[in-house]
Amino acid sequence: MIGFLHHTATAARREIGRIADLRMYRVLLFYLPLVAFGFFALFFSKGVARNIPIAVVDNDHTALSRKLIEMIDAAPTPYVAYSAQSMAEGERMMREGAIMAVVLIPADFEKKLLGNVPAPAEAYITGTNITVNGLLSKDIQTVVTTFSAGVQLQLFTARGMAEEEAMAQILPVRFNRHILFNPYINYGYYLAPSFMPMMLLILTVMVSVFAIGTELKYGTAREWLHCGGDSMAAALTGKLLPVTAILVLQAFVMLFILIGIVGVPLNGSFVVMVIGTLCFLLGYQALSVLIVALLANMRLALSLGGGYSVLAFTFSGLTFPVMAMWTPMRWLSRCFPFTYYTDLFIDQMLRGAPAVYSLPDLGYMSLFAVLPMLVLPRLRKVCTDPNYWGRA
Amino acid sequence: MNRLIRQLKSYRGQFVAVVRNEFRAVFTDEGALLILVFALLIYSTTYSLAYGPQVLRNVPIGVIDNSHTEASRRLTAAFDAGPNTYVAYEPTDMEEARELFFQRRIYGIVYIPENYERRLLDGEQADVAIYADASYFLMYRQVFQELVSAIGLTGATVGLQRLVARGTELPQAEAAVQPVVYQSHNLFNPYLGYGSFAMPAIIIVIIQQTLLVGIGMIGGTWWEKGLYRRLCPVGRRRISTLPIVAGRASVYLLIYGVTLTYILGLHYKLFHYPDNGTTGAVIVFIALYLSAAIAFGLALSTLFRTRESSLLLLLWTSIPVLMLSGVSFPREGIPSALYRFGRLLPSSSAIDGFIRIRSMGASLADVLPEIRTLAILTVVYGGLALFGTHWVLCRTCGQDKKNGADVR
Repeated sequence: MIGFLHHTATAARREIGRIADLRMYRVLLFYLPLVAFGFFALFFSKGVARNIPIAVVDNDHTALSRKLIEMIDAAPTPYVAYSAQSMAEGERMMREGAIMAVVLIPADFEKKLLGNVPAPAEAYITGTNITVNGLLSKDIQTVVTTFSAGVQLQLFTARGMAEEEAMAQILPVRFNRHILFNPYINYGYYLAPSFMPMMLLILTVMVSVFAIGTELKYGTAREWLHCGGDSMAAALTGKLLPVTAILVLQAFVMLFILIGIVGVPLNGSFVVMVIGTLCFLLGYQALSVLIVALLANMRLALSLGGGYSVLAFTFSGLTFPVMAMWTPMRWLSRCFPFTYYTDLFIDQMLRGAPAVYSLPDLGYMSLFAVLPMLVLPRLRKVCTDPNYWGRA
Repeated sequence: MNRLIRQLKSYRGQFVAVVRNEFRAVFTDEGALLILVFALLIYSTTYSLAYGPQVLRNVPIGVIDNSHTEASRRLTAAFDAGPNTYVAYEPTDMEEARELFFQRRIYGIVYIPENYERRLLDGEQADVAIYADASYFLMYRQVFQELVSAIGLTGATVGLQRLVARGTELPQAEAAVQPVVYQSHNLFNPYLGYGSFAMPAIIIVIIQQTLLVGIGMIGGTWWEKGLYRRLCPVGRRRISTLPIVAGRASVYLLIYGVTLTYILGLHYKLFHYPDNGTTGAVIVFIALYLSAAIAFGLALSTLFRTRESSLLLLLWTSIPVLMLSGVSFPREGIPSALYRFGRLLPSSSAIDGFIRIRSMGASLADVLPEIRTLAILTVVYGGLALFGTHWVLCRTCGQDKKNGADVR
């Protein structure tokens, strides 16, 4: 045991020397994570999208139609940038990218409202951007409902109803809306927490494959193994230990940016969050060891490891839920530690779920972390047989 | 005149040699082949399969019905009837509902209080409480919309009954319940399919990123193994970089022309992505985008010093590049300096223009600003590619001279 620790320490010292020597190593470990986190902190600093340009086609030109347009303009998301003469003109503006929606108010709008005849109004919202579509359709719908209720209130009070009675007539079933866990419906809260760990995991895979792959590429693998007292386990632990330590520090920087700067709430347990982050990093380091040991080729391992790590975002289900995917894709989504990390992140940061609900996620991520045990013999073979070296 | 013809002939000779050399470099290198040919096919297919069903339906919710009446059961049935939600559980209290929620068995909770029916019968306002989970954007949207419209519909029915009971004629009562008949239409992607929204942008980003990494890998390999000198023409003192850059660019244009014919043709049809543009406009626009992205790739590739550098340094940028285009996250929410910086990437203008042409059916004239930006980027990055290639060749060939080797 003491021998093992001694060898691990020797291998770790050697690795620290390599980090100091190789510029690419330092770029991957220190600079790129910070650049990526900085990018997203800056990117989400505005938080919400306001004033998305739309056009109106007002064929009525009355006080009431103008009132409705004014109310739409005053809503948070839409901004009435143009008034188009016809739907054709509105659609052309949309194709030119100038606007994202057209609101159409037909002629006789006011006349119908005052004459107690149902008056149509329509919105044409682009479906090519689901995010924008969601924001616009919600706001325009709300405005029209409010406007409609105003018309009703005037109508009913004119008929001699008391205001309370009129309200009960307008809205017989009233709902209290409680938006759980993301009260501002801030899109940044959805995306920032998942993009920054994405960056961390891609760079974790890159740097871990690099750490082992360079030993093969430059034929120094035997020297590395020797440093670990000919114990593959000690050599591997010693190599990955300094890398893991720096990545954990980077993860703390990430959590600090998310909580302190982006303003993501921390409703659950920070301790569980930190343990989860550690399992997440170890899981991806383990997968990197597996890939490089099996392929014994740094460039190929980087390509496949990189390809695998980039896919994680889609399969985490944060944007398009796993629940909606086809069954084989649902199974596939279980093969990415990031999926569990996303669940854990939402549970512990946003939802404030009791720690017990995050235990399965921690368990699955730890399963990934024991993968290197399976490939230690293969890795030893690769490290001692010069036939595997210098291939790229 | 003779000199000019001689010059052109020599250019053509070099061009052909460079094209041949580049094809060999790509197709004998499995690493480059994987990235420049197969990555586009693999990624497009995998993402399309993940987004296969396109829409989220039947999100499970829980209804706490404390009223246990005809009216409350009707409301619960209304939540069940729509396509987006179904009532999976009817927990007895909030505590039980919360547990189901944390177990991820339900994604929304409706609470119907004891006095629900009585208030409705008394002509008062009845309250219900909605708890919608906003930690998943799409879940929140589907659950909230469905619940609100079910409640609105139920309310309108009650309102109508009340007016009729007061002796209002039916047509007038209908107008009084709903003065404005509002209809919302989603253009170009009527069912708001997620793949139809995301895939056009993702495909454009994959094109650029595979070009940058792939050309970068070849550039890095050439530098690492000293292969750039293969581009130096035999026995010539002056190196002309124009045929080199043009030759290399045409090879990538040809490779992506083939793979994109499949992706933008058959693959698009297989997954039913919006296809409203004319083929001519799509081809012209994509060709321009490829030129800009290839020029960018050739310029960047002269900076890489080892085979794996481009992959290590560029892979992580895919998501930031996608975000900068203003598609996943609306451009109005992006700090404007960052958004303007993003216009330096060919992908940003290409995503804007491509979605408008292919999904919305815009003509080339409609995307003129994007075409202008891409043309400028092609010229600027093309210039940088010429400059970078010249510099790299001077250094490698210069080194050879110093080492006393033949300029070869």
